[in-house]
Amino acid sequence: MTQTSDLAFDRIAGVRKTPLEEFYASGHRTCQGCESALVMRQFAKASGPRTVVTGSTGCMYVANTSYMTTPWVVPWMHTQLGAAGPSAIGMAAGLRALMRKGRIAQERINVISFCGDLGGGDMGLSGISGALQSPYDLLIILYDNESAANTDIQATGLTTYGAQTTFTPPGKVHRVMQRRWKKNVAGMLAVGHPTCRYVATACSAYPPLDFLNKVRKALAVGGPTFIHTFDPCPKGWDYHPSYSHELGELGIKCGIFPLYEIVDGRVSYTYDPKKKGRIPVREYLEKQGRFAHLIDEDVAYIQRRVDAMWEEWEIPGVAPLKGGLRPA
Amino acid sequence: MIKRVEINYRGIYQKTLARRIGSDLVLIASRLGKVAFSNGRYSDAPERDGIPCKYFVFVSPDLPEEELEAECGAKLDIDVADVSIVLDDTMVKGVEPWAWHGVRPINEKVSADGCLLVVTRREPTQLLAFIAAKPHPYRLATLEGDASLSGLWVFKDDLTHERVLGAVAAVDPGIVTIDAVADYLADEGREPRRAEAARTAHAATVQRIRPVAPDAGISWTYAIPELPAWDAFGEGVAVPGVERRSELGPGGQARNAGFPRGTTKTERPVVRFDLCTRCTLCWLECPDGCFDPTADEYYDVAYAYCTGCGKCAAVCPVKECIVMVDELRFEDTASPWAAYRRDPAAYLAWAEGKKGPERRSYAHITGTGVEVRPAPAVRARRTRKEVATR
Amino acid sequence: MTLAEKTIAYEREELLTGCQAVAQAVRLADVDVIAAYPIRPYTEVMDNLSRIIADGQLDAEYIVADSEHSQFEIVKHASSVGARAFAGSSGTGWMYGFEALVVTATDRLPVLFLVGNRALDDPGAFGVEHNDALAIRDMGWLLCWATTAQEALEHVLIGYRVAEDPRVRMPMALALDGAFLTHSQHMVRVPAAETVRRFLPPFDLGDRRLHPDNPISIAPQVNEDWVMELRRQNWEAARRARRVIEQAYREFNELFGERYGTPFFDEYMTDDAEVVLVGLGTVAMPARTAVRRLREHGHRVGYVNLRWFRPFPGPEVRASLARFRAVGVIDRDFAHGSPDDGGVLLHEVRSCLYPLPERPQVLNFLTGLGGRDISIDDVTSMYEQTLAAGRGRALEPAVRWIGVREEAARGVPEERRP
Repeated sequence: MTQTSDLAFDRIAGVRKTPLEEFYASGHRTCQGCESALVMRQFAKASGPRTVVTGSTGCMYVANTSYMTTPWVVPWMHTQLGAAGPSAIGMAAGLRALMRKGRIAQERINVISFCGDLGGGDMGLSGISGALQSPYDLLIILYDNESAANTDIQATGLTTYGAQTTFTPPGKVHRVMQRRWKKNVAGMLAVGHPTCRYVATACSAYPPLDFLNKVRKALAVGGPTFIHTFDPCPKGWDYHPSYSHELGELGIKCGIFPLYEIVDGRVSYTYDPKKKGRIPVREYLEKQGRFAHLIDEDVAYIQRRVDAMWEEWEIPGVAPLKGGLRPA
Repeated sequence: MIKRVEINYRGIYQKTLARRIGSDLVLIASRLGKVAFSNGRYSDAPERDGIPCKYFVFVSPDLPEEELEAECGAKLDIDVADVSIVLDDTMVKGVEPWAWHGVRPINEKVSADGCLLVVTRREPTQLLAFIAAKPHPYRLATLEGDASLSGLWVFKDDLTHERVLGAVAAVDPGIVTIDAVADYLADEGREPRRAEAARTAHAATVQRIRPVAPDAGISWTYAIPELPAWDAFGEGVAVPGVERRSELGPGGQARNAGFPRGTTKTERPVVRFDLCTRCTLCWLECPDGCFDPTADEYYDVAYAYCTGCGKCAAVCPVKECIVMVDELRFEDTASPWAAYRRDPAAYLAWAEGKKGPERRSYAHITGTGVEVRPAPAVRARRTRKEVATR
Repeated sequence: MTLAEKTIAYEREELLTGCQAVAQAVRLADVDVIAAYPIRPYTEVMDNLSRIIADGQLDAEYIVADSEHSQFEIVKHASSVGARAFAGSSGTGWMYGFEALVVTATDRLPVLFLVGNRALDDPGAFGVEHNDALAIRDMGWLLCWATTAQEALEHVLIGYRVAEDPRVRMPMALALDGAFLTHSQHMVRVPAAETVRRFLPPFDLGDRRLHPDNPISIAPQVNEDWVMELRRQNWEAARRARRVIEQAYREFNELFGERYGTPFFDEYMTDDAEVVLVGLGTVAMPARTAVRRLREHGHRVGYVNLRWFRPFPGPEVRASLARFRAVGVIDRDFAHGSPDDGGVLLHEVRSCLYPLPERPQVLNFLTGLGGRDISIDDVTSMYEQTLAAGRGRALEPAVRWIGVREEAARGVPEERRP
């Protein structure tokens, strides 16, 4: 599971070496078992006190600051739903100019901006693209709970095929309203921005510390960077919150959420299904109420697509380009 | 004359149930020739799993609709409740829906001679051990049952809503009568068991209404905090961040004092420190950061901030080390680790007493089932030398 | 101020378009962050700034944004960390980023924007119209129109001075008529950098800047408990801005010579006028020429060139217009379906005059839309109509179109019109 990467950074070597201090504190209005809140906690912990954060509209805005309060220890500012990219650019550019002109002290300040499904995969995609082309040191985190969760669960471009949401309810005539296949955001951004040195996917649950270390790598590598996290969501996926960790692991182990990092264009798999195998997607789907209406045919379809992702894509899990690019 | 009903429910899990009860009360009242409407409390939304929420119903036998709306409609919150329904009994410990207002007593809005109607398996005296005393008399009624929980889109058809309607008719027939409830539930080819369930609940609840004298309950001085005037706080829409803090021991980590939100939980984790291998996973994986690392490398629980999600119990690799227990078995949020350090044997006895003889494990899909099994016997671990402190 | 002193205040004269003049001012203001996105007719300011930066005349971060919404968000967040920031747009581009413009005001961030006034889509059209800048009027912005390139340059400096003042902290939109001001070249006196430094203090957000040494959370989610108080704060800031504007002009005049008599508007030959026209932007040119020609023929008319639209100088406008028998309001904008179907400025002026025990007659002229010329003859006609109204004649309709092709006006019988 460890990556072969010669990128120098302050690695957290083991769970007992994890820094204790919190920079995203208890006392927010997130759901029980919210993995996106854990993502907030972990990235803030990994980044430390010399950090500025913008958070775009979504659960990690509204549920964290309800109302006129804050769990953030580090400086934080709200930004608009589609503005994760430009808000990161703005902060980084402002700080760079002020430091160069001697108006504030020269130091490394981590610039981090986060967004959800819509802010990362739909509305905010253009802005993130601009950020990943830019020359600034910044990190954008897409916390993906596979719905527009803050508005009480609607489908987005990152919603899994077949999932129930308020926009895609199973009905008497149409059983599956959610017929779109999840966008491959991390891969898309990696392929589309050749000067972006670090793109990764992660899960706060699994493997332990992987996400924390990926955040540290991203902050160390220089230039704009991107991490896409996989966040089981008890409210939107309809499961008892105690299973949040389990569902994260299952999603990775069945291959439906590829876990990898790309450093200077080199892909390494955090979870490599070729070596470790994949469990059937059914074991993941059947534990969530949002898939309760699916029948065998639907599950088979999902399985086929996941199989194709790992068996037919030239760069499995990363880019859906098939056949003929390399000698057999 | 206006009758006001508030339905206290667990956000998301009971959203559909609360709405169904509320809208049925409006429909039944309308059939009785009354004027009625209902609405949620807007600031509760978007709801989060477990956060305490409210739904309101307003009924009048004599006012025109417009006047009822003028008195009760288009408002943030209810002024007073003739019936305050509580769909999950752990909410009697108080509710804190958002910051700045603190933990509010569950019976805050209950009017003089109004009724607090709680779905519970406990006796009224057990509930009153948590409920605030009021300066005027009111009534406390109990409807026997477990909290009915389901996923966001799911209406769980377990007769809870029918029974609650029957119970409302019992505690305040001025809102709806049991005959009207039963007629409605028997309507349009619905199964007879629904009207029966309402009648049975009605008959049972009539026997389970007890008066609560003024000043009976716990001393709980609650006042809505005075929020700052526009010219008494800085411009620029900013609040101070949480102050940095990282010390070992109970309460040592930085936390947002403005919103502990511990009233989200229906269960809390009970820790067997003697079994703990100090793997860190409970602390690492808590979305709410409720664990305080201690000098001896244990993880104390800051219960005031715990939302009761159960992740810690699920990820703990040691059997019986963390077990989720009904929140109503606990009186305070005192540090368990401090209690364990003071007297390990007493603490372990206390912990096992709280855990009881049964273990519950929940089906994956929300509210679709719970398996109850007897607790495994786990001896106290043999004592060992204390390891070097951090 | 002596010639010698003036020479210090202004270091040279240059032939500049309105956009170029703004770019010079941005250089002089030592702006830290600029975000660019192309749209006619404001783009030239960004072309200029890129060259100024490339030639080392200004040290600033210059970012090419992926959209106007991103462009406006970039400068908003640069401002939040304490950097002086500049952006701009026109027409439909301004509208594309409108969300960002609204929150910049409610976040109380003093970014300065150039609006090269342009007609709104659809259909696409490049000519001048004021609805783009006017769209921001309710949101807690400073909004002012420049009439000349000189004014444009100086109002960037005055704009930052007022916007960044701790009593104000509102974003500023400086509007220039598209093409007519953005693109026409005039001789402009460029201030000396040292004098600008004396006028414009460094940008300091105090305890509101985002920095690890100042851990705050900006714009947490709020509910009914908080919104009204926040709105009231913004409202008060806009009220306070009037006095800060006056102070800024006093300071400016001291350093640069008596450039401005009054801050909020200029009055031209109004002392003994019977009637006046009121307008925004470059319509002041034909208006002042029309005034001179009409006066040669014995008509007593004057012109009020409004500069500051937000905050609206209500008491000052009221005191000024109360003296006249009639006022003609020129709207280079539209407000379809509004009371009497009048333009935006009409409603502002009428509302302003309402408290007067005796009010002048008010007429409204919708004209010059989409870049259509407003000729001296057009303005003369407006004066004639306003004079008539002032004498109690031909009062209806209150709202009139000047310069639109109209069948009825051509005498084509109704049954023969489409």
